[in-house]
Amino acid sequence: MKSKILGKRISVYVLMVLITVITVGPFLVTLFMALKSPGEGIYEGILPQDPTMVNFIDSFEKANFGTYFLNTVIVTVMAVPLNLLFCSLAAYPLARMDFRGRGLALALIISTMMVPFQLYMAPLFQIAGELGLRNTHLGLVILQVSTAFGIFLMRQAYLRVPKELEESAYLDGANKFQVWYKIALPIVKPTIITLAIYTFTFTWGDYLWPLLNTTKSGMYTLSIGLAQLSQNFDGSNMKLISAASILTTIPTLLIFIWLQKYFVSGQTDGAVKG
Amino acid sequence: MKKGTKKLVTGLFTAGLAFGLVACSGNETSNSEENRSEKSDELSGEVTLWTASLAGEPFDTYFDNIEKKFEELHPDLDVIIEDIPQNEMEKKVLTSLTGDDVPDVVNLNPHYMSNIAAQGGLLDLTELLNEETKKSFVEGAYVAGFYDEKLYALPWYLTTTVSWYNGDHFEQAGITETPADFKGVYETAKAVTEATGKPSFYQVINDGNTIIEKMATLANGGPIVKDGKAVFANNKAILEYFTLTQKMYQEGLMPQENAEGSFSGGQELYMAGNVSFLESGVTFLGPIESGAPDIYAASKAGQPLSGADAPMNVAVMNFAVPSKSQNPDAAVALTEFVLNAENQLEFAKTAGTVLPSTLESLEDDYFQNPGDSQKALGMLEASKSLERSKVLLKATKNSALLRESAKNAFVRNLQGKVTPEEALKELEAEWNESFEKTDEKVTF
Repeated sequence: MKSKILGKRISVYVLMVLITVITVGPFLVTLFMALKSPGEGIYEGILPQDPTMVNFIDSFEKANFGTYFLNTVIVTVMAVPLNLLFCSLAAYPLARMDFRGRGLALALIISTMMVPFQLYMAPLFQIAGELGLRNTHLGLVILQVSTAFGIFLMRQAYLRVPKELEESAYLDGANKFQVWYKIALPIVKPTIITLAIYTFTFTWGDYLWPLLNTTKSGMYTLSIGLAQLSQNFDGSNMKLISAASILTTIPTLLIFIWLQKYFVSGQTDGAVKG
Repeated sequence: MKKGTKKLVTGLFTAGLAFGLVACSGNETSNSEENRSEKSDELSGEVTLWTASLAGEPFDTYFDNIEKKFEELHPDLDVIIEDIPQNEMEKKVLTSLTGDDVPDVVNLNPHYMSNIAAQGGLLDLTELLNEETKKSFVEGAYVAGFYDEKLYALPWYLTTTVSWYNGDHFEQAGITETPADFKGVYETAKAVTEATGKPSFYQVINDGNTIIEKMATLANGGPIVKDGKAVFANNKAILEYFTLTQKMYQEGLMPQENAEGSFSGGQELYMAGNVSFLESGVTFLGPIESGAPDIYAASKAGQPLSGADAPMNVAVMNFAVPSKSQNPDAAVALTEFVLNAENQLEFAKTAGTVLPSTLESLEDDYFQNPGDSQKALGMLEASKSLERSKVLLKATKNSALLRESAKNAFVRNLQGKVTPEEALKELEAEWNESFEKTDEKVTF
């Protein structure tokens, strides 16, 4: 019996190690490649023989990382709170208030998720230009300030808030805004964190819209810098690209590690009640 | 993304942009004409030039100098040069044409150029340039700027085909020179594979363009399409090429990965020492130098793997002026300036792996004695093969389909799913059907 349990446990651990290798493996290979010295071939064994940071320094300089990093931080810092604010505000009435056309409004919002970006990017480009949003940080985040996905996610979370809690708050004299702010919002905190992480990762890695909406390279973001490196005229230098990819990924990784306990609990929120 | 979804998205994207361009085209023409009619002797205002994937050093310094020199010639003009990742250039130009933030000069390859020109997005330069400028370019490269018999772009830098081989592997096999025909390729591949125990030859397929170019080279000056009809199925050299590549793939002289056939796939295999020779441009060696210094040191360049007189394709990078340019006179002047012999020579020296497109700059001693680095030797071979190079394929409305079907036919043949004869017959039928639909009577 004991050996059966031990065998089961070993097979579970083997499976876990295998999954870890599959998921973390590519990241480690990239890291090792980035640490290889200029004289070392990328296919000469996995581990670097003479680890060096020179590729990180080179990629930082060559990809204009300083400016692009700052731009990316600015747009992400703008996008996350704006998206959280607008999505949580827009979703609440769709979940809790009765008004004519609520179902239609929800259907229209969700339907925008079905339209490929490529189809509306040209008119969006025109509108952004007419609104003076070209080459501005606000212009870069315009797609993220209120997303259909965020509204849907938040609405699903609000549906889980017990109605009784809100009703007793109304009985205590709270108005609608207070009920939203003081009762509903704290309860859906894990979903807010989830949405924050989604918005962060999407904005941090967004490529096509920042590229289209900028005509000055001083406004480029990290993902454009990465593309410039990988589509370099003289062919891609894999060590530099690996180093740049690691540098780009670190902030996302740190944010995820910091917020992962909320992320895991919030991830299933959208699926509980429809 | 799945292939079907990708196609759908690409279709939607093109449809959306085409709609946007049509909607804007009314203003477009009048804007440009108005702008041109306001031509004054002195250029002024802003002029923006977009380069494709030329960010970072040494190019930043080169373009800073261009900017400075042109502004000295035209003190009232502000030159802005920005770099766009090459893969997104077409999307970016097409999108910008739907609004008012349009660049004045753009760096395009002939595929992008013909697609944007077909949608009315580029200025016809035929009447805007003098004969002296037009005659300053290499003929084969110059004609690449034409679409529908109008000149939409001028050539900038060129890449011609050379062969790259791993000198150590060749030495192991006792081979001293690259083969000059496809029978020779087969024999060389066999000898090298026997010596190294690994596949040795790689055929770059990409989206099918290299296969069509190879077919045109093998046709040795004869057309593969005549008056809108494919005429290659009975060509002996092309049939031999399909037969031998199938044989090489089956015998393991070509790697299994060759069915994917990308340029970067070839680079990775070569870098890892898993293939020994192939045809490509000089830029092929870029990532090898940083990623596999030993392989780079062993690399040698030779003439393309075809007959000594066979016509070779030249890959051209162009400059074009968008039709909605707000400053077309300055745009044309800047284009001429960047493309003059002096600046092109300087650019070729800066890049170190490309050839200029002006006849005068090609006469410079640099191209006879470029140095002894691997890249320089590649340049030397490239400049030799330029003499017999031209743009082998014509821009047609169905060029994307022609490339895709050529790729499919070649891969199916490689994998032995069809016989070489069947592959060529099927490809010919597909092309003919497509040409009937587009009603283009082209010959190439």
